[in-house]
Amino acid sequence: MLTGALAADLAVNGLVTGLFYGLMAIGLALIFGVLRIVNFAHGEFYMVGAYAYTIVAARLGVPLVVALPFAFLFGAALGWVVERTLMRPLYANIGSWGLMRDEYAVIVTFGLSLLLVNLVDKAIGPYAFRAPALVSASRIVVGPALMSGQKVAAAGVTLAVLALIALFLRFSYWGRAVRAVSQNRLGASLAGIDATAVSSLVFSLAGGLAALAGALLSPIINASPDVGAFPAIKSYVIVVLGGMGSIPGAFIASLLLGLVESFGAVLVSYQYRDTFGLVLLILFLLFRPQGLFGERGREV
Amino acid sequence: MRYVSHLAIAAFTLSASLAGNANAADPIKVGVTVTQSPPGSVVQGTQVKDGLEVVAKMLNDQGGVNGRPIELVIEDTQGLPEKARAGVEKLITRDKVVAIVGEHQSSNVLAGMEVAHRYHIPYINTNGWADAIREKGYPEMFNPNNYNRRVAMAAADSIKKLGAKKVVAFAENTDYGIGLAKGIGEQLKAVAPEISYRFDTLDRAAKDYLPAILPLRADPPDVVVDVMLPPAAYIMMNQVYEQGIAPSAKTWFYDASGLADYPDFWQNVKEAGKGLLVFGLYHPKMQAPALAKTVGDAYTAKTGAQPNRLLYQAADSLLVLADALKRANSTDPGALVKALEETKYTGTRGEITFSKEAGYKNHQWLDIPYVTFQVTEIGQKVADTPLVEQPGQPLDPSKLARP
Repeated sequence: MLTGALAADLAVNGLVTGLFYGLMAIGLALIFGVLRIVNFAHGEFYMVGAYAYTIVAARLGVPLVVALPFAFLFGAALGWVVERTLMRPLYANIGSWGLMRDEYAVIVTFGLSLLLVNLVDKAIGPYAFRAPALVSASRIVVGPALMSGQKVAAAGVTLAVLALIALFLRFSYWGRAVRAVSQNRLGASLAGIDATAVSSLVFSLAGGLAALAGALLSPIINASPDVGAFPAIKSYVIVVLGGMGSIPGAFIASLLLGLVESFGAVLVSYQYRDTFGLVLLILFLLFRPQGLFGERGREV
Repeated sequence: MRYVSHLAIAAFTLSASLAGNANAADPIKVGVTVTQSPPGSVVQGTQVKDGLEVVAKMLNDQGGVNGRPIELVIEDTQGLPEKARAGVEKLITRDKVVAIVGEHQSSNVLAGMEVAHRYHIPYINTNGWADAIREKGYPEMFNPNNYNRRVAMAAADSIKKLGAKKVVAFAENTDYGIGLAKGIGEQLKAVAPEISYRFDTLDRAAKDYLPAILPLRADPPDVVVDVMLPPAAYIMMNQVYEQGIAPSAKTWFYDASGLADYPDFWQNVKEAGKGLLVFGLYHPKMQAPALAKTVGDAYTAKTGAQPNRLLYQAADSLLVLADALKRANSTDPGALVKALEETKYTGTRGEITFSKEAGYKNHQWLDIPYVTFQVTEIGQKVADTPLVEQPGQPLDPSKLARP
């Protein structure tokens, strides 16, 4: 029975979950927009961020306000290294790579995903760790909903970061460069934009955002080597729903997916919760393959 | 010519004699399938593996079995049934193991046992609780470990003693979880039909269970039952607690999976663990045979960790097999199965015998000892928790502390 109080509870929970999905998915959308590849290791950046925050905050006793940016920077640095070492062949002038660009991207990111999971499993161990929460209150009343203090704090930080990303992409030189390269890489290069540097920036930013999402949620979801798999799958769905490479689309699709899952779990069945996104995905592919904000094609 | 043929006969005799000696000293290979990498429970896999290695060393230090050392051949299943199946196939056909032990996940046992059954190789189930494993009726399957029906009976009896009217269980979407949650429902129907019971199936890989938990807030049940394993169980418990549902003054939290015994329990659960009622297969205050202390000490010396239930289940799996190998004085699968059926062996948890009845009792050690204990403080060690139900006695509600 869906009462008014339960509906409000589900709405708040769905929107907050959607915000977290958004933090992950926007990085994936940026990478697709600029590099035209799907990063299958995106979930592992989330996992690395969860571990970086947990180890630095819980084991080394670093203050949480320092540990959180550290997790972001760690993910960004890892993203930068990955872009420099593994992604460059995709757009460097190596003739033979051009023909098997998609295959290379799939294989190399999938391999990176397996490598990172097993590396963390062996180096740190298989045990799950719960990171210290940003706020000590275990329960906070948010309107009609009751939420963990960490979830409220994480949602606040997520909103602030998403706003900063929007401002960065809209008004800064590098933000405009990112948008230009995502529209037309060759055209942007002809206009004097360093597309290689933009690719590097985007991979770093995406890695940092995924790591930050993992760090913010690590007190709730507990860091473990395979923790990134689930949010990564959600992110792939969101990027397609929002329109491949579209940042506003990814944000709206994240909130939409959070709400659909939250209400669907009660109105239909919790057991089918993870299929709702996939049903949406199929419907979009059938009736609106360009997604919410994507374009069918572009001619220059 | 005669000289050459005599030489050939002598060489053959010598080589046969040498080969005979080598066979006598050859190790007895025992196949082990455990989880050593994600996505399965590496925590469980490591406890089982360490337990088996401790016992194998103890047996070998005492001269092995029938003069032959035990050699464990370990396969990592990653907790995936298809890998368990392939692992058992490889262990039997390529490594020529005499039996399989160690598996700690029901889905994997169900996959691996089919292969063992096809090759008629004995399979000692170390920690697969699903009743379906027994109900197949395979003669090669032996179960010196816990079974879902046993937990279901224990949980139903405890819930009845708690005076509950409404019970909700959260079960993981595995053979273990769904099987046990259904079993608890059947047992409750039998012993306390007046109790309203339902269970929700949750995805082990998910991280947000709130949509399943939120509807309980308006009208909380008297008991919430956990039928999930870590790490998903920890996340579910924290979310149930954060919503003010359980453990609380109104609602008990009954853990049918024995979570408090896990080494990472307090790393992942804080306030949500206080007040928890735990079904336990091991508690330091339980009476146990002398062998338990020897095995426990060796385990602590090897790993630095305290003994746990999986250590003893793994130990008994290998000890029962070694006992059967001794009595059979053979590694022939048929002779081994026959010897296992006649088992009467005092292991680390009591005297183990295997039932000859059909159904969930097939080749099952029926009288698995268990207890119920309550966690009364955050960070409390299992050894310090009070027992509220002793082996063979009903739960005593007067010993319970309301959260």
